[in-house]
Amino acid sequence: MSEPLVTFRNVEKRFDDFVAVRDMSLDIHEGEFLAIMGSSGCGKTTTLRMLAGLEAPTSGEIRIGGRLMNDVKPHERDTPLVWQSLALFPFLTARENVEFGLKMRGMAAAERKRRALDWLERMQIEAFAERNVATLSGGQKQRVALARSLVMEPRMLLLDEPLSALDANLVIRMQGVLTRLQRELGITFVYVTHSQSEAFAMADRVVIMSQGDIAQIGSPKDIYRAPANRFVAEFVGRNNILSGTVGETGGNGLHIDTPQGRFVAHMPETVPAQGAEVSFTVSADLVTLSLTEPEAVNKVQATLISEEFIGSVVTLFFEGADRLEFKVQMQERALLELDLEPGSAVWLSWEAENANILEDN
Amino acid sequence: MNIVNRRLDLYALTWRLPIILWQLVFFVGPVVFMVAMSFFVVRNYRMMEAFEFANWERMLTRGFFWDSYWYTLFVASLSATIAMCVAFPAAWALAFRASESVRRWAIFLLVIPFFTSYLVRTFSWYVILAESGVLNAMLGYIGLGPFRMLNTHFGTIVGYLTLTLPLVVILQTVSMANIDKTLVEAARNLGCKPLATIWRVVLPLSKTGFIVAALFCFILAFGDFVAPFYLGGSQEPTLPILILDTTKSGQQWPRAAVVAIMMMLTLFTIAFTAIALAYRKPKGARA
Amino acid sequence: MMGRGLNIFLGLYVGLIFAFVFAPILFSLVFSLNSQRFPTIPLGEFTLEWYVQIWNDEDVWQAVRNSVIVSSSTAVLATFLGFCTAYSDFRYNFRFKGPYLALILLPPTIPLIIMALAMLAWLSRIGLSGQLWSIILAHSVLTAPFAMALIRLRLHQMDPDLEAAAWNLGGSEWQAMRHVIVPFCAPAIVSALCLTAAISFDEFAVSWFVSGLNKTVPIVILEIVQGNIDPTVNAIGTFVFLTSMTLVILAQVIFIGRQIKSHS
Repeated sequence: MSEPLVTFRNVEKRFDDFVAVRDMSLDIHEGEFLAIMGSSGCGKTTTLRMLAGLEAPTSGEIRIGGRLMNDVKPHERDTPLVWQSLALFPFLTARENVEFGLKMRGMAAAERKRRALDWLERMQIEAFAERNVATLSGGQKQRVALARSLVMEPRMLLLDEPLSALDANLVIRMQGVLTRLQRELGITFVYVTHSQSEAFAMADRVVIMSQGDIAQIGSPKDIYRAPANRFVAEFVGRNNILSGTVGETGGNGLHIDTPQGRFVAHMPETVPAQGAEVSFTVSADLVTLSLTEPEAVNKVQATLISEEFIGSVVTLFFEGADRLEFKVQMQERALLELDLEPGSAVWLSWEAENANILEDN
Repeated sequence: MNIVNRRLDLYALTWRLPIILWQLVFFVGPVVFMVAMSFFVVRNYRMMEAFEFANWERMLTRGFFWDSYWYTLFVASLSATIAMCVAFPAAWALAFRASESVRRWAIFLLVIPFFTSYLVRTFSWYVILAESGVLNAMLGYIGLGPFRMLNTHFGTIVGYLTLTLPLVVILQTVSMANIDKTLVEAARNLGCKPLATIWRVVLPLSKTGFIVAALFCFILAFGDFVAPFYLGGSQEPTLPILILDTTKSGQQWPRAAVVAIMMMLTLFTIAFTAIALAYRKPKGARA
Repeated sequence: MMGRGLNIFLGLYVGLIFAFVFAPILFSLVFSLNSQRFPTIPLGEFTLEWYVQIWNDEDVWQAVRNSVIVSSSTAVLATFLGFCTAYSDFRYNFRFKGPYLALILLPPTIPLIIMALAMLAWLSRIGLSGQLWSIILAHSVLTAPFAMALIRLRLHQMDPDLEAAAWNLGGSEWQAMRHVIVPFCAPAIVSALCLTAAISFDEFAVSWFVSGLNKTVPIVILEIVQGNIDPTVNAIGTFVFLTSMTLVILAQVIFIGRQIKSHS
């Protein structure tokens, strides 16, 4: 693999006593769509701001294209940022906003006007070029902000929760615009968000952060199917988490004794010692539901507590032995056939290969 | 924090330094020099740099200084009290009875006087309040007067109110208009009588604004020489008149400096007390 | 109902307060057009005599010229100082920021008569008193806080990302200042210019002390008032009033007008 575009090496950022980012090492590759996700205060925005030079790391190294960036001022970088607040200049028109960066570079008026109008056209808002940005709608402002950054023809675009102010269906539209742009331009997008759906819908790789640490890096599918630790498993949601101790290791996988019974999980790369405490997850959509006892390695009996509908997918909440909560996700049509109601007792089962051992407890 | 913290550089210094230098030379300089000057001596109408307590001794041991001191304190407090009381019903009406737009217009109108010459307004009062002036002529039609209004405490207070009343009405109105109206209504609903509502709900909630208003009023009256001079007749000179007289006629700048320093000390003491009161948490409240 | 009676009483009361506040201003205007040397009721005849007198008075003209120079220079100086402080306060956190801000905000809390004495003594000592620009120096200190307050208020309305966005798009700090901060603050800067000019145009105590033989308009008024009853004061006063009000209304219109434009 070629040299990464961006490398973080043991980067730490402190604000007085508060550690915003702790010992972070991360590579960002040319042309990838990377999402950094986490709840507020996890350090994702600080990471982005360090890339833009708006914060300097307390220790460690940040390199872009091999060049050490720690002390490079913001305006000497080529890292345009799409701000959460958009930060459009309210006293300028849409076109003047897009021209701003080119003007700072000293480009001649005619040329920068041509490029600005090109980009406004590409974003399909050329009709509003001479309007004051304050008079534009949320979606139009969004496009101006994107055009203002992309007209700089950067190798990498930084985006700080750019869709958080838009309403739901506009978010979906803009996601489409962003992924198409990223593919057409072939440049690197670093996208910070607290929204799992945005990150998973658009990113090639997702970095999940928690309290200044990277909790997991991987493709959306990896993170969804194989959360590395309890934090990610809970953050991503819709995971059933079971804990127990390692029993004898049979040929068919790792045996784990839990208060709900003995389960078999597929063998992880590093095999835990017998008697060690481990936790594993089973995705809610990989749990099979049946009214009679199934022929399966892993199965529990549980009682239906409640249902939650999101579109055509329904999440069922069950209570098993020892008051453990189970979540099962299925199509609404499949549920209708089962004819369940709260209090119904059912069997839940899953394949050993779908049980994912966590690195921590 | 949204802003990059960088070392102090040329850019930062450009915005920070000019004002520091300017204020050091033209604000701190004068004030410090005035303090130093209070220890200088004047011989043969010439001021000489020295360090003697003669001026302090001369001023602080004389009855006329203390008479003037207490008198100034008295009239300034009196005018602050009167201004606060006179302004209150009007401010209350503007805050609670007037619509938003009426209130905004009223405040706009009350700002206008700040941009008219205070001297001209005082002169106008001089003509209005004179023995044969406008007010006495009007009172004459209904068989009253003539009253002597110039060169009295009344004249002084009218002058002070000219200076302070608009500001006091504005500050009182704004601080009461910012009270959450539902609290007042809740008090009324719970059976609180109107006057009790004012005393127990409105005043405590607008305390800070009221104290600031009274303080401003006091400071303005305390430092004004125009009203007591032209309308009060200056038979009992206030401290500002004392400064004026000692500076302008006698060249006794060091003695004037003593008076000025005493005024400043008094003002600071009162201002700090007032501000401490204004921002004190109510009893039992935790930060 | 009692509420109705109370409302009428309060209405009258507010009217009375406004009458008190505006009586001297209105009477001054009326007196300036009234033929009596010592005006009373009934009024004398309508006359422009007092205006003609000041129009023909070279001293008054000189004072007006001086006042224009003083107030416009003060406005520029005070607005610059106010802008620097407002921006430093907006942008930076630093040690001794409290004393730094106090340094600029304190002067208006000190009675003018004291500032007048202190300025006179100090400017004489360093050889800067008795000149027209002595007044300008003193007034810049007295009026800068007002400029600072207006501009700080405007900066408070600014999205703090705006300046960083300019850097992010390749603008140096100086470029961001020129292309973002100053344009954003423009309405407040113009307002501050008008406001500080208006305050300076009216100030008499400090001017009187430090100006030496150079008279500004308020000093002329002060001297006339000290002498005898002279209705030309009313004519000058009306002129000063109109000048100040023009400046203030201009400041308002520009500040508020811009506000509305950026919110529409």
